[in-house]
Amino acid sequence: MQAGLINSDTNFSKKPFLVKARPYLIMTPALLITIGILYPFFTAIFYSLTNYSFRATTFRFVGLKNWTQMFMEPEFWHAILVTGKYALATTGSEMLLGLGIALLLSKESKFTRLLRVLLIFPLMIAPVIATIIWQLMTNNSVGILEKFLNLFGVYNFPWASSAKTALLTATLIDVWVYAPFVILLILAGLQSLPKSPFEAAKIDGGSAWFTFRTLTLPMLKPFMYIALIFRLMASLQEFAIIFALTKGGPGNTLMNLSITGYTTGFAYLKFGESLPYVLTLWLIIYLISRKLVAKWLLVQKTAGGN
Amino acid sequence: MFSTRRNIIALLSILGLFSCGSRKDALDIGHTDKSVLEAKKIAEVGGFRWDMASGVSIKVLLNQHPYAEAIIQKIPDFEKFTGIEVDYAITPEENYFDKVTTSLNSRTGEPDIFMTGAYQVWEYAGANFIQSLDPFIQDSNLLNPDYRIDDIYPGVLGTLRWDRVPGHLTGTGSQWALPLGFELYSLAYNKVVFEKFGLEPPKTIAELIKICETLQEFDGRGSYPIALRGSRNWGTIHPGFMSTFANYGARDFAVENGKLVSKVNSPESVKMTEDWVKLIKIGGSPSWSSYTWYQAGADLGAGKAAMLFDADINGYFQTGKGASKEAVNIAWAVMPLSEGQKEINSNLWTWAIAMNKASNNKLAAWLFLQYFTSADYSLWSALEMNAVDPARKSVWDNPDFKLKMADREGYYETFISTIDGTRILFTPQPHFFETTTEWAATLQSIVAGKYSSVQEGLDILKKKMDEAVEDIIIE
Amino acid sequence: MNAKIRRTSVSVVRNTLLTLYALFALFPIFWMVLITFKSDSEMYTTTFLFHPTLHNYKEVLLRTDYFQAFLDNIIVSSGAVLVSVLVGVPAAYALARYKFKGKEDLAFTILSFKFAPEILVILPLFMVYQALGIYDTYFGLIWVYQLITMPLLIWVVRGYFEDINVEIEQAAQLDGYPWHSVFLKILLPLIKPGLVAAGLLAFIFAWNSFTFPLLLSGFRIETVTVASLKYIASDTVHYGQMAVAATVAALPEVILALLIQKHLVRGLSFGAVKG
Repeated sequence: MQAGLINSDTNFSKKPFLVKARPYLIMTPALLITIGILYPFFTAIFYSLTNYSFRATTFRFVGLKNWTQMFMEPEFWHAILVTGKYALATTGSEMLLGLGIALLLSKESKFTRLLRVLLIFPLMIAPVIATIIWQLMTNNSVGILEKFLNLFGVYNFPWASSAKTALLTATLIDVWVYAPFVILLILAGLQSLPKSPFEAAKIDGGSAWFTFRTLTLPMLKPFMYIALIFRLMASLQEFAIIFALTKGGPGNTLMNLSITGYTTGFAYLKFGESLPYVLTLWLIIYLISRKLVAKWLLVQKTAGGN
Repeated sequence: MFSTRRNIIALLSILGLFSCGSRKDALDIGHTDKSVLEAKKIAEVGGFRWDMASGVSIKVLLNQHPYAEAIIQKIPDFEKFTGIEVDYAITPEENYFDKVTTSLNSRTGEPDIFMTGAYQVWEYAGANFIQSLDPFIQDSNLLNPDYRIDDIYPGVLGTLRWDRVPGHLTGTGSQWALPLGFELYSLAYNKVVFEKFGLEPPKTIAELIKICETLQEFDGRGSYPIALRGSRNWGTIHPGFMSTFANYGARDFAVENGKLVSKVNSPESVKMTEDWVKLIKIGGSPSWSSYTWYQAGADLGAGKAAMLFDADINGYFQTGKGASKEAVNIAWAVMPLSEGQKEINSNLWTWAIAMNKASNNKLAAWLFLQYFTSADYSLWSALEMNAVDPARKSVWDNPDFKLKMADREGYYETFISTIDGTRILFTPQPHFFETTTEWAATLQSIVAGKYSSVQEGLDILKKKMDEAVEDIIIE
Repeated sequence: MNAKIRRTSVSVVRNTLLTLYALFALFPIFWMVLITFKSDSEMYTTTFLFHPTLHNYKEVLLRTDYFQAFLDNIIVSSGAVLVSVLVGVPAAYALARYKFKGKEDLAFTILSFKFAPEILVILPLFMVYQALGIYDTYFGLIWVYQLITMPLLIWVVRGYFEDINVEIEQAAQLDGYPWHSVFLKILLPLIKPGLVAAGLLAFIFAWNSFTFPLLLSGFRIETVTVASLKYIASDTVHYGQMAVAATVAALPEVILALLIQKHLVRGLSFGAVKG
């Protein structure tokens, strides 16, 4: 990458100070704004070591008590389980559905071209709003889905009211909103693939499945990784959909780490105790994202090499 | 990039500055509050006048409820009368207290006034969110001479008076809010359906469950016997559930060695919970766990449910011309008790309005409080806007109101039979939200079959409740 | 002959599956808009054929402060995007053109903001904002929204900058133009489509934000996403109004999305994939 607006002389260290500092200066406003947001992160660590509660008027340092207590709470492990289940269910479904629909859409036709534009609509709608829409549709009194199920003799399907079907309902809403994201990404990937290897494979007479497995899939990997990274990171911390749907219920069925942190901190006012939950969530996301991004960079190199 | 260690030290020291500033005025309940003194000074000049805060603007947070609808109707009159500008917001009950807690916690002074119940006072007064009303009530320049505070049922007014000592009953201490109305608990039912099936209102829970067995899909697909609250919220525990809980002889907490100990896994509680879960499974809606009082009442009104075990006023809101499909068919009976029991225990809930401790407009807020709990307003709202049960004797004695009550079959009789046994059945403590929300969540989990037995679920709940109230020490 | 039948049947299967998905994706939106025009009395008894009415719209838009929430959303979202553009475009340029120490680290840090759990940021910010007096203010929300809008903007615009050949700049410099002229007169027009797309996409994400306005504002400012909570599941009688709330909140972004659909992929993937 060459430098612009300065001499293309690439010996950076020889530049006069002002020129060297220029990139940093240009980035300073951006940095200031973002550092202003980094501050809460360190605050969170600090307060997680106290017994700060919105109810009390003073607080004191309690060391690692909140942390050790959290690790002993069954709630915590349950929240991790829910977080994992939700992320796997939603991301998994979205990846599979996304891949499938993208493949179907890769064929050029008037229909597919129209559909490619129309399918972004659910993605643009705020998850909270999507939850309202689905609650309306599944409403036992007036919902269109209820009326549809009635045709099959199914009445009063509980959707989000039953512990057995709550996760399904939340996943359904999540998939409805976010599957288009995966579709668009993979579709872009499909459209950017070079034609020659495929033509060669056709001449060689390989089956469609074989071509898919050995050519398409590997070349699609970078795109699939991006989709996976974004969706996984987001679904691990999903808050809006679950909050709007059941606030974590029924019982504790949907109490993932985000909702648990919110409930402990804002509803029960136990600020210090809630922070370890969300900090753990951050840690999980950080570790997973680093691993996946590293993988993605690797995959990008090899896919390009092909 | 930057020296991480240096940065951490720098940041921690900045944090240290933040941390030293703890929140001021620990236990001061506001008698010497600057804004209260200001209010007193203004009132001193010329004594009580309705327009002594003219030109001030206040913000009011209301819960979505017929009481709130009544208030909203009269706000234009209030504004004209006092010159105070009112900016209000309504939130549905499911999210209402989340919003109030966060707003009060932000200590910005907004809202100036908010609707609250008795239990929430335990939470909010302890956290210093509410302004004590004593300095206002006791000052003859601030209290409207026509207010007639003794017209308010002492039992109801007393539920909003508390000395902030956990375990101490309500009735002593500061007055934290003024009541808009109150409710007790009873069984509302569809008399046409009962006639059709040849049924009488049940006297015991066991009879109730039997009736539910008879009334399966009584009106075809989609209908079910009894509407009950079930959402993951304190609201699910306090109506019929808590009343029945007491009727089975159970209690939530006991004081032992200066600490609060949860008794929620006692044999009485287990028996009661088992019966209640049976009731839900046999008679409740399939979507029970998402039901707040709105849905429960609406189902009775729509004819989807044949019974409603909830606040007497919940059924009342479904009556009146055109209020709902089954409006004229709704009748009331005393709540079903446990086997062999004679004495009725009903919980009591009151919706009241309170003042934010951090408010900057206390004089105007106080005028709002007086106006909307006054005798005239109470009468109007009870007659015209269904704001029952009124907290003032004068309203109950009013002939027009009596006529209105007579229109609702069994309502007045049930009220009279139940009122003597009506009081707050919870043990006052400041972690009320946490303990009762967890209680509702546990109930949901038990119904969903998460535990091998009701005892197991309640044992786990007891542990959670004990932990929540751990920090309370009772002298 | 066989191949032809195979091809047509494959085509039929493909189109059927796609139609099923299209139904899944689009029918809810269609139905929701449909019932905004249905009166409450007809809600239980009719499905698709009924007498349309504007009553629900009147109730929600004129008799409640939902419209104010709508305006609040516009103010906060556009404000956030504006700030991101003003601050982010130069930053994107620096990342695209300059080589300096810690560049990729910095870039990744900015990107990682997108992954940070919102709830982690909010809990401490709640207190900080109170202390600073910016709780429940436009300023406070616009600042925290940068977490959503700025990473997106920087990464996408960076990609567009990188697409521009350096020689264009160098040529202009040789011609004696000062750096700000080059920037404003030559570079900006070239990235304009990408900038507009990224800006609109950032606007949509900011618009959809729920957690931040839920907890960092509440009385003076209520965004449409938070206000819509009032219509969730509690109001069992006014379904049409619920639908209006959802429609009013969703439609603007659907329209905006149509405008930027060409640049969507690049924006959504933060520039990692070309549109």
